[in-house]
Amino acid sequence: MLSVKNIVKQYANHRALDDVSLEVEKGKIFGLLGPNGAGKTSLIRIITQITAPDSGEVIFNGKKLNSNHINQIGYLPEERGLYKKMEIGEQVLYLSKLKGLNTAEATKRIKFWFEKLDMGSWWNKKVEDLSKGMQQKVQFVATILHNPELIILDEPFSGFDPVNADLIKNEILELNAKGTTFIFSTHRMESVEELCDNIALIDKSKKILDGSVDDIKASYRNNTYRIEYKGEADFSNSKFFDIIEYTEIKEGKSLKFKLKEGNSVNDVLGLMLPEVRINHLEEVIPSMNDIFIERVKK
Amino acid sequence: MNKILLIIRREYLSRVKKKSFIIMTFLTPLIIAGFYGLIIYFSIKGINDKTDTIAVINQNKTLTEKLISNKNITYDYVDKSFESLKKSLTRSKYDYILYIPDFDIETPKGIELIGTKQAGLSLDGKISDSIEDLIRDYKLKKSGISQADLDNLKSKVIIGTKKIGDSGKEENSSAGASTIIAFVAGVMMFMFIMLYGVQVMRGVIEEKTSRIIEIMISSVKPFQLMMGKIIGIAMVGLTQFLLWIILTFSISALTVSVFVSKQDARKMIASSSKISTGKPGAQQIQAAAINDGPLGNVQKSLENLDIGKIITVFIFYFLGGYLFYSALYAAIGSAVDSETETQQFMMPVMMPLLLGYALSLSVVTNDPYGSIAFWLSIIPFTSPIAMVVRLPYGVPGWELVLSMGILIIGFIGTVWFAARIYRVGILMYGKKASFKEMVKWFWYKN
Repeated sequence: MLSVKNIVKQYANHRALDDVSLEVEKGKIFGLLGPNGAGKTSLIRIITQITAPDSGEVIFNGKKLNSNHINQIGYLPEERGLYKKMEIGEQVLYLSKLKGLNTAEATKRIKFWFEKLDMGSWWNKKVEDLSKGMQQKVQFVATILHNPELIILDEPFSGFDPVNADLIKNEILELNAKGTTFIFSTHRMESVEELCDNIALIDKSKKILDGSVDDIKASYRNNTYRIEYKGEADFSNSKFFDIIEYTEIKEGKSLKFKLKEGNSVNDVLGLMLPEVRINHLEEVIPSMNDIFIERVKK
Repeated sequence: MNKILLIIRREYLSRVKKKSFIIMTFLTPLIIAGFYGLIIYFSIKGINDKTDTIAVINQNKTLTEKLISNKNITYDYVDKSFESLKKSLTRSKYDYILYIPDFDIETPKGIELIGTKQAGLSLDGKISDSIEDLIRDYKLKKSGISQADLDNLKSKVIIGTKKIGDSGKEENSSAGASTIIAFVAGVMMFMFIMLYGVQVMRGVIEEKTSRIIEIMISSVKPFQLMMGKIIGIAMVGLTQFLLWIILTFSISALTVSVFVSKQDARKMIASSSKISTGKPGAQQIQAAAINDGPLGNVQKSLENLDIGKIITVFIFYFLGGYLFYSALYAAIGSAVDSETETQQFMMPVMMPLLLGYALSLSVVTNDPYGSIAFWLSIIPFTSPIAMVVRLPYGVPGWELVLSMGILIIGFIGTVWFAARIYRVGILMYGKKASFKEMVKWFWYKN
């Protein structure tokens, strides 16, 4: 539904985006990852039409991005705020009217969402009387209220306690199940693994990695396993594997190893079964966190 | 367009609903009216609202003509000795004793005024004026002028200044009245532009520091947001201005009717409603005008000044000058992260306004038709103040049109210029803005 094609954005003396292209599929949750200053915000600002690219284009639902698309996109920036002196209900109403909703419809939806997210009594409260987490709920509602097809969330969970983070996460999944596409910009890799279907990794203004989370993780498998066993035996000079890490744990021992070329995990089991009692065996798949760090460090 | 209206509405309502706005709007006319009421009260009743009764002991043989009692002073010629009267003064009905000894008419001296309390300056002055009159009359009569001629000599002179208006008709005018209006208008214009221009800047900074700006401009264009804010606040200013006029008018009318009899009131209201609004400075001038000047003449001139035209032109220049400056204020607000950083940018924006203000109230009021006055009222940096100051003295139509035209071009220019800085500035955080930086922003492509 959203294609970013060869975007270049140059600021006075640094290039924020250098030939970045990516595809966001309809109904998926897309993770936009990258270290601070990589260019994520610049890219989001182009998609939300806050700024325009120097070259390249953005295609939204088959059409070149234009001002009619503003109402179909919801954006929750990382640097987000509200008018401090305004009442909550009035404020959300104002923001959603700016997105093209009429008063009656907007009021109905605000009431619905306030009810749903335990904010029923907040309508007449002022923003300055709310905690940061509470303000964030308000901002989240303001972002999704006009039923956008594409919702862009920049660090949506920062500042939430676990209960509310979970509440919001479930709302995201629910909306996603109804067909809303999400772009998710974050540093928190556990939420990426939990939520994202696809990701793109941007570093130093360039895209350095993209694809589905499963594929990327699969491609980073490197025949590493971890086995837990009970019993005494020395496997340190095995011809099947190299030991990466050996630790004593409560239930016995834990051994992390990498298979040598041409061997399978069955060979390892064949070696160990006669010697010790095996409690647990798993393949060690690198987390998105590891992949992120590895790629960005390079 | 619809979005601009929404923004204007929010900016307007959020300010008009504020307690400080309501208090300012309703309290200011009350204060002014109260002040005004006091002035009228004293100018009508006079400082001495009671009559002083003075026992006159005249021992002078040449000065036989008696002092004539008036509203504030009753002269009572008595035939007692000065010493005995002095002793019984506290028990008598007299407030003062005026003792006129037998002096040589060429060198009058030894006159004494003794009272239970210290005589004020004005009483002192009035009595000595009266005695001087007596002496002068005596001398004139001695040189052969008849009483009838003497009465003829006494005439009160009031200069009725008139000018030939655009239409060729004679209009009553008074330098005093024009100056009052000019001062009030100039001070108000300066205050309005400053006050509301700074409000625009604060609003922009508030949006930036509260970080709502990014949410906003994912919905609306920066230009819409900036213009919405500017126009919304302009309407707040207009609302306040109109409320002040209406309130001051009605409260003054009320105050006046409390103090003054109906007939006097009509005159007073006519003038009070026209010079209502304003600062202590203006009030003092007003007070001075009412106390010293040929009051009636000023009032007549006030009635002849085209107040409707002055208010209309004032509103035009308020809007024009406000747009001109507030756009610059918006640009400043967008460039900084907090109000404390605004100082270095405020100066260059304030300077022309201050200069226009200072020159308008000095040079222009002294010489409203001179070339400095002309140029100040044409250049858009100073024209809003200079022109409203010149206006009560009369400004040729073509100059007014030229000045207005240039102001319109001027504010379109500053709005365009400011918008280019604003759209970049509002998204810049943590960067210390400088003029160099702002020039760079100006040239950014979108």
